[in-house]
Amino acid sequence: MPVQTISGKELTGLNASNISDVAQHFAGVTVKDYGGIGGLKTVSIRGLGALHTGICYDGLMMTDVQSGQIDLSRFSIENIASVVLFNGQPTDLLQPARMFASSGVLSFNSLQPAYSKALTGEVKMKVASFDTYNPSLFLNKYLSSKWSLNILANAIQSAGNYPYIEQLNSSGTNIEKKNRVNSDVKSLNSEVNSLYHFTDFESLSFKVNQYYSERGLPGADIQYSTYSTERALEKSYMSQFLYQNKNSCYLQYQFGAKYNNSTARYSERKSTYSTLTDNTRIDHYEQNEYYLTSAFQGFPTNYLTLSASLDGWYNNLFSSSNINYYEAAKPTRQTILGSLAAKYIHERLTVSANLLYTFTHETNTVSDAAADRKRLTPTVSLSYQPLEDKNLRIRAFYKNIFRLPTFTDLYYNDFGYTKLSPEITNQYNLGATFTEHYSGLISELECSLDAYYNRVSNKISIMYGVPYSSVRNIGRVDIKGTDVSVKALKKINSKSDLSLNLSYTFQLAQDYTTGSATYRDIIPYTPVHSGSGALIYRFKRFEYGYNYVFSGKRYIGQNSNASNVLNPYIDQNVFTRYTFRKFSCTAEINNLFNANYDVVKYYPMPGRNYRLSVSYKL
Amino acid sequence: MKIRKTLPLSLLVCITAFSFTSCKSDDPVDSYNLTNGVVVLNEGKYNGNNASISYYDFDTQKTYSDVFTDKNNRGLGDTGQDMIKYGSKLYIAVYNSSLIEVVDAKTGVSKKSISMVNDANAPSYPRSLTAANGKVYIVLYDGHVTQLDTTSLSLGSKITVGANPDCSVISNNKLYVANTGGMAAVNDSTVSVINLSTFTEEKRITVNLNPSTIQADSEGDIYVASNGNYGTIAGKFQRIDAQTGAVSDIAVSVRNFCIMNDKAYIYNFSYDANYNVSNKTIAVYDVKNEKLLNSSLVSTTLDNTPYCIAVDPSTNYIYVGTSDYSTLGKMYCFDSTGAFKYSFTTGINPSKVVFINK
Repeated sequence: MPVQTISGKELTGLNASNISDVAQHFAGVTVKDYGGIGGLKTVSIRGLGALHTGICYDGLMMTDVQSGQIDLSRFSIENIASVVLFNGQPTDLLQPARMFASSGVLSFNSLQPAYSKALTGEVKMKVASFDTYNPSLFLNKYLSSKWSLNILANAIQSAGNYPYIEQLNSSGTNIEKKNRVNSDVKSLNSEVNSLYHFTDFESLSFKVNQYYSERGLPGADIQYSTYSTERALEKSYMSQFLYQNKNSCYLQYQFGAKYNNSTARYSERKSTYSTLTDNTRIDHYEQNEYYLTSAFQGFPTNYLTLSASLDGWYNNLFSSSNINYYEAAKPTRQTILGSLAAKYIHERLTVSANLLYTFTHETNTVSDAAADRKRLTPTVSLSYQPLEDKNLRIRAFYKNIFRLPTFTDLYYNDFGYTKLSPEITNQYNLGATFTEHYSGLISELECSLDAYYNRVSNKISIMYGVPYSSVRNIGRVDIKGTDVSVKALKKINSKSDLSLNLSYTFQLAQDYTTGSATYRDIIPYTPVHSGSGALIYRFKRFEYGYNYVFSGKRYIGQNSNASNVLNPYIDQNVFTRYTFRKFSCTAEINNLFNANYDVVKYYPMPGRNYRLSVSYKL
Repeated sequence: MKIRKTLPLSLLVCITAFSFTSCKSDDPVDSYNLTNGVVVLNEGKYNGNNASISYYDFDTQKTYSDVFTDKNNRGLGDTGQDMIKYGSKLYIAVYNSSLIEVVDAKTGVSKKSISMVNDANAPSYPRSLTAANGKVYIVLYDGHVTQLDTTSLSLGSKITVGANPDCSVISNNKLYVANTGGMAAVNDSTVSVINLSTFTEEKRITVNLNPSTIQADSEGDIYVASNGNYGTIAGKFQRIDAQTGAVSDIAVSVRNFCIMNDKAYIYNFSYDANYNVSNKTIAVYDVKNEKLLNSSLVSTTLDNTPYCIAVDPSTNYIYVGTSDYSTLGKMYCFDSTGAFKYSFTTGINPSKVVFINK
């Protein structure tokens, strides 16, 4: 299965501030970005829709039962060691069953410093355009050779009031220069991690994470208006532990648990809320998750690995509002996932397969709850090295999985529909990877090429109506695509090297709904052509980098007609970094050529902006 | 300084980037005028900045899809809520941009755009328009009605009505405003009655929950369609007696209607289990003799869902705008017997029709 990793110097060489900035450098990924630091950022893999992407932080999946999507804008890249994209699922079999339960997984893992008797860590200050200040602190202490403890704090404050250009006609000959309003952000992410190694192969990790954010939601840019007052206050608390035992070479296992609580309060002051206190609408949401996981893997023969994992968890959601059209629903969901997997490795052939069983049970205090669901979904993958002396591998996989309807799909007052079925995806992939080490012009080369065919069926689609819209399982999307990526490294001498990463995606995501008025039109917000590149040159204490992300034209509506076209863009960045002993100083210019573009129509992205960071390693 | 080394490559990529950006040439704007035809206000999508005006010319049978932009080189704004013709001008309420556009009814050229704001300089969201006595009465969704002098184009005083007032109508020098309470803790269920001589609210008449469309007949009776709460309380079609102010129910299902020459032209539809629109009907109700004349006038199958209805006073032709809420809409024209005459394409969500006759 295709796996793409960005870590270390590659990760810090992308002018990225959050995980979605990194993710857009993976082949096959489309990022939806509502602009600015506080704007919602989600990723979709190979045209499947963001709700099919599982987000995994330090080994356990993140959750949002309400919307089904995790806002990646909250995850800074500070203290992230690696970001990995798995098409299909991770290849390691000793995994929570939940890792097998989405169409793809975007996983990021925090930094674990090597053993040291001293207190280690980093203090960093970033200052950026639009009054942005971002101090962060990371401290790690080994209490013994087996036990380490670390803390992390990352605070962001930004006015975010960047200038942009509003087009008053489609030809762009009549424009108005405006600034984003109500786009300020204040957030604090803090975390404590404990890692205890009983042996080299047996560990217990524990994490507590707390997140606070108060920000403006500037909303769509509205012609002739600059009024925006919607605010979001989000708090989340998460704690998890994971115990792993790989001491035996016959049977290995892991257990984990997680608790997550998140609350969100949205408020909007508007003259039309004239009967509400302070003319303000207030919506509250609170959701909880209690999660348990266990996984076992055994090695009956030298060639065969078998694994079984069982996960169970409980979600609930509370919501309330001071406005008439909102009826408080209190849905809950219990989920049980069981997975059986096998992997066979013989010489140059690897074959693996797994079968995932999903059971859900839901309740709702206000109205009906969705019926119980039971589903069995398979995945098969194969990898083969045809030539013994060449590191060329052919790979193929098939995966059948689904996404459950979100609580919004099911229970949102008047909009929701409890009879929804899951939205199903079928993925077929055929590709090749090639890795080589040379002594000549290029030192290391890594290429991959994959062709894929995906089908989304039973699509959960909005059925527009008056006064309310609703959702139904209607529609089919077929996606045909190709992902290409190249990584090259040139070691010039012991003190300097040059690395180049390129990725390109061609994909046709089309509406194949029978009888649809937009049959074979391109699915909104999925570019046919997209890609990225990064060039990093290291010379002694200096690092210079250039990187870009481009997206071809997209359509903002179901109709692939001219009025729905959203123009292509290329966002280019440069940086330079100077590291001297424990000090490091980075200067970045983002959107170097001041491209005026929207990723989501009427949510303008910032133009040229600057970021300066200084850090000191303890 | 150090950055310079990477610049040449950046420039190269930049040059390739320009090739992605297509250059659109401006279409030559016809020197057409709105002389004899149908002017349609297209609401567009909320937050879509695509309110527009379509014009179908009776003489040439040609449709102009974006009159306002053709004539003013800029978009109309976000959410075209209402449009009326009064004297030689069109008045357009652009809800989410919180603007009143005053447009020359013949040329389509904007004479003035008036930003509608409250005392705190926040948008007050114009919702519906009516005109009499040289004034345009602007119903504001923040619970007010204000007046615009049609000669000086300046705003006059403002009065308070119920919560989230929607449609309005003038009868016997009184302005009737349907208070929906659409953004209140509880829906409103009143109609405000405003004396236009004194510009004061005289009273509020209680009707069914969540009234929206409101029209008057030649005898001064007021007809109101209400939506209820879309659940336990159903919508209703009601009549307010001109003399007594008494409210009575009419046993006809109404989504929306208009009254012309003492006939109410009504459309209705419902949603089936798959949330497909079904039972689309156009009915005619005699508001003078209080009886249903035809429960299903039109046999033509409409492509999408009715979004507005209007009758041309000079021909009695019935115009029904349909929408799927996301793609371009369609305007159907039927004669008074319900026979299909013609149709033309509109913008997204055709919401209001104005007739300009020679």
